Amino acid sequence: MKGTRSNDWMVGLAILGAMVLVVASTLYLQQADLGEKRTGISARFRDVGNLQVGNVVVIRGVRSGKVRSIELAEDGWVLVDMDLDEGIRLPVDPVALIQSSSLLGEFQALIAARSGVPHIREVETQLSDTLNAPPQALPGAVLPDIAQLTTVAGGIAGNVASVAERVRTAFDDSAARELRTSIRNFTTLSHDLANAVRKQSRNLDSIAVDVRSSMDALSQTSASLRNTASRVDTATSGGEIANIIKETELATANLRAASARINDLMISLERSESNLRGVIGKADSVMGKVNRGEGSLGLLINDQSLYRNSDSLLVDLRTLINDFRKDPKRYFALRVF
Amino acid sequence: MIETVGRVTREAVEAFGQAGKLTAEAARSSRDFKTWWPNFTQQARKLGVDSLPIGILIALFTGVVLALLASYSFTGWVPRYLVGTLVQKTVMMELAPVLTGLALAGRVGANIAAEIGTMRVTEQVDALETLSFDPIAYLVVPRVLAGIVMFPVVVGVAMFVGLGAGWVASMTLLDLSSQEFLKGARYFFDAFDVRYGLVKSASFGFAVTVLGCMNGLRARGGAQGVGASATSAVVQSAVMILVLDAFWAMVWLLGRAR
Repeated sequence: MKGTRSNDWMVGLAILGAMVLVVASTLYLQQADLGEKRTGISARFRDVGNLQVGNVVVIRGVRSGKVRSIELAEDGWVLVDMDLDEGIRLPVDPVALIQSSSLLGEFQALIAARSGVPHIREVETQLSDTLNAPPQALPGAVLPDIAQLTTVAGGIAGNVASVAERVRTAFDDSAARELRTSIRNFTTLSHDLANAVRKQSRNLDSIAVDVRSSMDALSQTSASLRNTASRVDTATSGGEIANIIKETELATANLRAASARINDLMISLERSESNLRGVIGKADSVMGKVNRGEGSLGLLINDQSLYRNSDSLLVDLRTLINDFRKDPKRYFALRVF
Repeated sequence: MIETVGRVTREAVEAFGQAGKLTAEAARSSRDFKTWWPNFTQQARKLGVDSLPIGILIALFTGVVLALLASYSFTGWVPRYLVGTLVQKTVMMELAPVLTGLALAGRVGANIAAEIGTMRVTEQVDALETLSFDPIAYLVVPRVLAGIVMFPVVVGVAMFVGLGAGWVASMTLLDLSSQEFLKGARYFFDAFDVRYGLVKSASFGFAVTVLGCMNGLRARGGAQGVGASATSAVVQSAVMILVLDAFWAMVWLLGRAR
């Protein structure tokens, strides 16, 4: 009988002890709160992502409660009930945001002031979606999680890589060489143009001086004419009018000559410009062909093998001549018999 | 060879059939409360309470090794607090039930088979029948019930000890803070983990005791027959534990994973 009682006692103790250990461990690991008062709040979302019952509720980074329940509501809403720890005060104009709390796919509910919400168009749209919203529920939104962000970042990286590849293809070594050549040609062209303009400017200066002197002569003539006219009535002696007419004719001739020179200069300038354009066009075409490796010059410049072959040919020829000098019999066999 | 294959298959099916038949008889005999109840606590003490030291010892070393193994595996960007997660999940859901079950299969299964086998070959079982005692109610029911009740008790203690051992090992050997370990242990903890381990261990207790009783009752001959029945009980129990482990994983974990 004593043995039976001892067995009962031991078995009962083992069972109760194991139950206490298991229950206590479970409550401890679940962070269960026995008897603690909590405040319940609700938030409405269009979608709750991976949020699950038991996930933590965070206010300004501090764990402040848990998600109690998640259930579908009318008009396409999802209602999330949360329990907040005792004494927790909500921020002004609060909103609930669902965000991932780690790279491992864990989510949490964040309660923040509306003014502190990140300026993301989708989030703002979700928060402002108040039509038919359940009453007494905080507006809620889901922040983009790391998977979405990495997807977008991946797309951007792909586009950048594509653009970089295209740039690399378009701007290869030959393109860079051609660009350098074009810049060099343009420099030469601008230099030639500056010289031409300088020369024509000098000519124009000369023409202007001539025109000015002609105008002076004309004005002198005009003054003389005026004087002559004033004296026509009084002057009776001959020869003065004839002189005036002669001077006028001389001035007119000078003016005509100056005009002719200006015309010649303009024609010359136009011809020079046309020639210059032709020269530039031909030079550009020639340089293009040379750069593309067309023609002998192009091949000589671009195809190094040609140079090497020519060089090699000269070396061979020189060797041949030396060898011929050393031992002509190898090349000329004079047989008498 | 064909004959051998046929014989092995027949014996395996027979063993299943006999185990099923014994289970049905035990369920029927469990109504004979007065016969099996006086023996229940004695068997519960022998199968459960006396097995606690071996369960605790296994869990102790398992927890330490798991913490070290997790720390060795989690390198690079893997957060160190996941050591706690791995220890908690692995100890509670797998290692505590299975390793304890295998240890008890050797200790309890062999003990039951040897005890009942000896009674069988010495005709004590026949004597019970002669005295109008139901041998199933007297021998099998208290052992099976004790196995079902006490295996979870031993496994529950092993869970606690294994988790604690991993916790202490993480702090002392791995320079992991207590907060980090607890963060990991709590992060993915679900009460289902405990439920899963305990239910699984109850099924192990049932299998080990039923197979032990069945092999004991089948014992023939002398000491050699008793030894053979004990060996069979241990082997069959170990295999059955692994089969049940896979069964519960497929029934419960597969559904939850989806």
